[in-house]
Amino acid sequence: MTTSAGTSFPSRFTRIDDLTRGDHNHLLPEDECLFFGDYTARKGWAHSSTNQLILNFKIPVNWRGTNRWPHKQRAIRTVADLFSARIGPRFAELTLVPVPPSKLKTDPEYDDRMMDMLRALKPPAGLSADVRELVTQTEPIGAAHESSSRPPPEAWESVYEIDEALTGQSPRWIGIVDDLLVTGCRFRAMSNVLSRRFPEARITGLFIARRVPEAIDFSDFFDQIED
Amino acid sequence: MQLELQADDFSDRAVSPFHELGAYEALWEEQKASFKSIADMFAKREGSLPSDFVERSRAVSYANDVHAMLRDAGVEHYGVRIHVAGDYPERLRVADHPIELLYFQGWWDLVNSPRAVAVVGTRKPTDEGLARTRRLVKSLLADDFTIVSGLAAGVDTAAHTTAIENGGRTIAVLGTPLLKAYPAANARLQREIARNHLLISQVPVKRYSAQKNPVANNFFFPERNITMSALTQATIIVEAGETSGTLIQARHALKQGRKVFILESNFRKPGLKWPHTLEERGAIRVADYDDIRRHLLSVALH
Repeated sequence: MTTSAGTSFPSRFTRIDDLTRGDHNHLLPEDECLFFGDYTARKGWAHSSTNQLILNFKIPVNWRGTNRWPHKQRAIRTVADLFSARIGPRFAELTLVPVPPSKLKTDPEYDDRMMDMLRALKPPAGLSADVRELVTQTEPIGAAHESSSRPPPEAWESVYEIDEALTGQSPRWIGIVDDLLVTGCRFRAMSNVLSRRFPEARITGLFIARRVPEAIDFSDFFDQIED
Repeated sequence: MQLELQADDFSDRAVSPFHELGAYEALWEEQKASFKSIADMFAKREGSLPSDFVERSRAVSYANDVHAMLRDAGVEHYGVRIHVAGDYPERLRVADHPIELLYFQGWWDLVNSPRAVAVVGTRKPTDEGLARTRRLVKSLLADDFTIVSGLAAGVDTAAHTTAIENGGRTIAVLGTPLLKAYPAANARLQREIARNHLLISQVPVKRYSAQKNPVANNFFFPERNITMSALTQATIIVEAGETSGTLIQARHALKQGRKVFILESNFRKPGLKWPHTLEERGAIRVADYDDIRRHLLSVALH
């Protein structure tokens, strides 16, 4: 888990298509989801730029103050630079909406990395980034799903709420931003909630990486790493 | 022929791997298509994708055909890597005719192994050659090398199986498309590598399968050797005849700035010229693994 050089990422996004949609079983054929690379780490082995970037980006908040923390901060800046460069002139049309962190703000494990990244975006001169936390999570995921590590989209939808204070100008094109596309569950829930409120808006998922099915959870890596 | 002007919308510019694999397969439809002709085409339009040269409907039709062919052959889960898209190994660009797209199955991140060497040799090794292959692979595994080979009979098979049996990691670079095992006896080994290790093929599925005369596909074998040398930091030749495809890999490895090691035993075989020729060109003669180790572990690894 060393640093990742932004230069090793391509200048184009890759899209989920007929080759990869089956790996993300909640996605629909009409969903537009774009990402930079594949998260493919297995068995304590993570060497690709994509794998390292994801692992660093997701370093848990209770590592603050350790010697790993600067890696997380660097990863946040790298991701912001990647998105900034790719989006370029389209900042003019795009409203970026982060998927809320899985923990509530009151939880000590609450990780605001996605908003930190979005705040670090650098749009071209004359444009600004329209970043809005339009969707908030009202309560922890329902008790019925607590035992399941992968609750269905409906469970997330039931705890997601539009923050009406931020709806001022209706977005035309919404980029739902998340770090890792796994089943597509939370993207679908976000997409449903947002398209009900803004039926005219185009919706695109923007991810750092998609997780290939054989890849193992990043938590397995964090457990192994010693400071 | 460039079909589309470059759009500045990140969504329009996003790469669709399915579309690209169809376009790549369509490029191979041209009877005289070769890795050279395709690489030349891309060299003229830097940053292009296969889909920049093929009508969309045609690319999609090829993609659907190939996807069905792979599925019917039992290739359940596969991916592609495309130059200019994510996770493409930049090391492949050192090849004379860099490949624009490759197919793979399995654990992609093995391609980024900090230590990876190719262990190659004849399809008909002596018993001694096989024993040397196994000893060599075990030593390499102890130093955490990923073992790369071509899944051919003989030395290649021994290299892969020794790696697997000893808990190591291995990459097979095929001279056939993902749907074909050559030799057929290696079908099981190929499946095992696809599942738990990494299988790579640059061979177009449709073009290969359409050839009536199998000899017409033979040129894919040496081409994969060029990919194998580009992917690894060194090529080790265990045993090879005067006309072995292994020697093509050795020549390209040297050209690509990779190390080539030749086991000492090859120099003692009367009548063999290639060990001496390759040594003159920069290959390193090695008596044992310690010699290899000294050369490989003393330099910065990529």
